[in-house]
Amino acid sequence: MLLTLAWKNTWRNKKRSFIIILSIALGLWGSLLAGAVWMGWGESMVNTAIERDLSNIQIHKKGYTRNKEITNFIPRGFRILKETQHIPGVKAVSGRTLVEAMAASPTSTFGVKIVGIIPAQAKKVTNIHSLLRQGTYFRGRGRNPVIIGKKLADRLGLKLHSKIILSFQGMDGSLNYAACRIVGIYKTNSALFDQSNVFMKQPDLFRLLNSKPAIHEIAVRTESSRIMPKVFDALKTKYPGLAVQTWKELAPEVALISAAMESYTYIFLGLILFALLFGITNTMLMAVMKRVREIGVLIAIGMKRGKVFSMILLETVLLSITGGVAGIVTGGLSIAYFSHTGIDLSAFASGMETFGASTMVHPFLPLDMYIALLVMVVATAILSAVLPAWNAIHIQPSEAIRTY
Amino acid sequence: MPLIELDNVSKTYNTTAVPIQAVKNVSLKIEKQEFTAIVGPSGSGKTTLLNLIGGLDKPTNGSVLVEGTDISTLKPDALIDFRLHHIGFVFQAYNLVPVFSARENVEFIMLLQKIPKAEREKRAIELLEAVGLGDRIDSRPSQLSGGEQQRVAVARALASRPNFVLADEPTANLSHAAESLLDMMNRLNRNYEMTFVFSTHDPRVIKRSRRVVTLEDGAVVSDVTTAA
Ligand SMILES: Nc1ncnc2c1ncn2[C@@H]1O[C@H](COP(=O)(O)OP(=O)(O)OP(=O)(O)O)[C@@H](O)[C@H]1O
Ligand SMILES: [Mg+2]
Repeated sequence: MLLTLAWKNTWRNKKRSFIIILSIALGLWGSLLAGAVWMGWGESMVNTAIERDLSNIQIHKKGYTRNKEITNFIPRGFRILKETQHIPGVKAVSGRTLVEAMAASPTSTFGVKIVGIIPAQAKKVTNIHSLLRQGTYFRGRGRNPVIIGKKLADRLGLKLHSKIILSFQGMDGSLNYAACRIVGIYKTNSALFDQSNVFMKQPDLFRLLNSKPAIHEIAVRTESSRIMPKVFDALKTKYPGLAVQTWKELAPEVALISAAMESYTYIFLGLILFALLFGITNTMLMAVMKRVREIGVLIAIGMKRGKVFSMILLETVLLSITGGVAGIVTGGLSIAYFSHTGIDLSAFASGMETFGASTMVHPFLPLDMYIALLVMVVATAILSAVLPAWNAIHIQPSEAIRTY
Repeated sequence: MPLIELDNVSKTYNTTAVPIQAVKNVSLKIEKQEFTAIVGPSGSGKTTLLNLIGGLDKPTNGSVLVEGTDISTLKPDALIDFRLHHIGFVFQAYNLVPVFSARENVEFIMLLQKIPKAEREKRAIELLEAVGLGDRIDSRPSQLSGGEQQRVAVARALASRPNFVLADEPTANLSHAAESLLDMMNRLNRNYEMTFVFSTHDPRVIKRSRRVVTLEDGAVVSDVTTAA
């Protein structure tokens, strides 16, 4: 009955209640959507990096990331590559031979990294093959075919089918020159990546290096990001002598940004709720003030202070939850809609591509954030109710009845 | 033991520039089943006296005993609880919770007493019938006339099964309904053996009272009981 009373009281001043419910709903809707866009952006940045080259997990020889010598290849790398393929939760693996090199055109030179791959393998791990602007992904014949980024092509003034000269040290320290043919030009979201990665087929690379086949990096894609920790643990225990790292360790800046997006969302929500706190408090203070006599009568006939406090608290919470649920539902629906269609942020963020993020964002918000949000709304309501409820329980019945 | 016993009670308000002595050395005994009117001109201290009896105010001097309990010694929550279980209140106007129906208003006080739902509903309907509102139990206060609202307030005051009912000018906002409200209270006084203490300056009401205590400037100037 106290709940009924609180609910009915909530609707006494329809206009006032409606305004406060609307402002809570709008505030939450806006911050939910903004948060989801940030989260979606962070997620897309992570996904872009993972699909471009990072993959979920990478295996190197210990110390390779500090000293990227050509001789620091993974011992028995091809056997390990085969084994990792069969670890539960692994979707695909790709072995990479990595060689630091200088790329030269008739007009210019530039430092690059040659990535030796098996195209069929690499296709399952990265999406470079789908980002070709020109040419093909190693299809057709030709001597030493390579695929380079658009940025590098521009820098060196090269076109599709141009010849590119790559120079690099072999395993034995000798300097090698190789004339290669550009068969494809790709463009990812990261200009930095595009100007420094040159893809070559492993057999060609080994022939040019004049060495036995060797790989420096095993890129592992897992079936889902949720299963990644399990696969990571399995790999780590299986290969204690190798450096097994997740993308979070390999690209801490990407991990950091994605984590920051979540913090931003919470901070923003917190700020909005903080602002709403004052609005709700004010509304409830007014509601109590208008009912001084009525509350005075209730205290006079025998309603104890605890009950009066609960009544005002309940009213505030009901009011806030109504607005909160409205905001969360509309926010959730908007997020669902935009996550389907995507939001094109290119108008706002022309510089985003250099960060390696797509301008097409699919907003999303994890379920636990909705729950956390509902808890935050209730907490805000309780905080807002304290002062009005405090006022209510301090009403002197004789005063209230005499003067109002 | 008298139901209500005031012993040399005074109340001074110090909130104003010049302290106002609203009640002066009042000694008064009220027994069970009495039907007592407190009368006097405006500002004579009627409301203050009823508030002292009802524990809504504390005396500056003297003691107020209700069924032998000195209510000025009770802690705030205990005092509220005492009011809930021992005293029924009817005020001049706007007694009711506007969002509740007549029945809910009567039920609410029993809810505060933690009386089970079935019992609450039964008693509420019974009492609303007793005050002549059997057909208006689901009406909101705004749908009732002033006299009808006061009847609901009386029903609510009785619902908690108090030892007595205090009514401060229950008819002040009523014109022609004043007499019928008083007749009804009179009937309840007899049928339910319920003690009523009420203030008024309405001659029609005074005429219907069995005991009339007259105040002037806070002091009792006459106390007359007429045979019923
Ligand atoms: N809270 C208060 N603070 C100061 N003075 C008060 C207070 N309550 C009452 N008074 C004063 O005490 C005196 C008695 O007031 P009270 O309300 O008891 O009179 P009353 O007989 O009920 O008058 P009325 O017939 O107008 O209702 C008046 O002079 C009034 O101004
Ligand atoms: Mg008065």
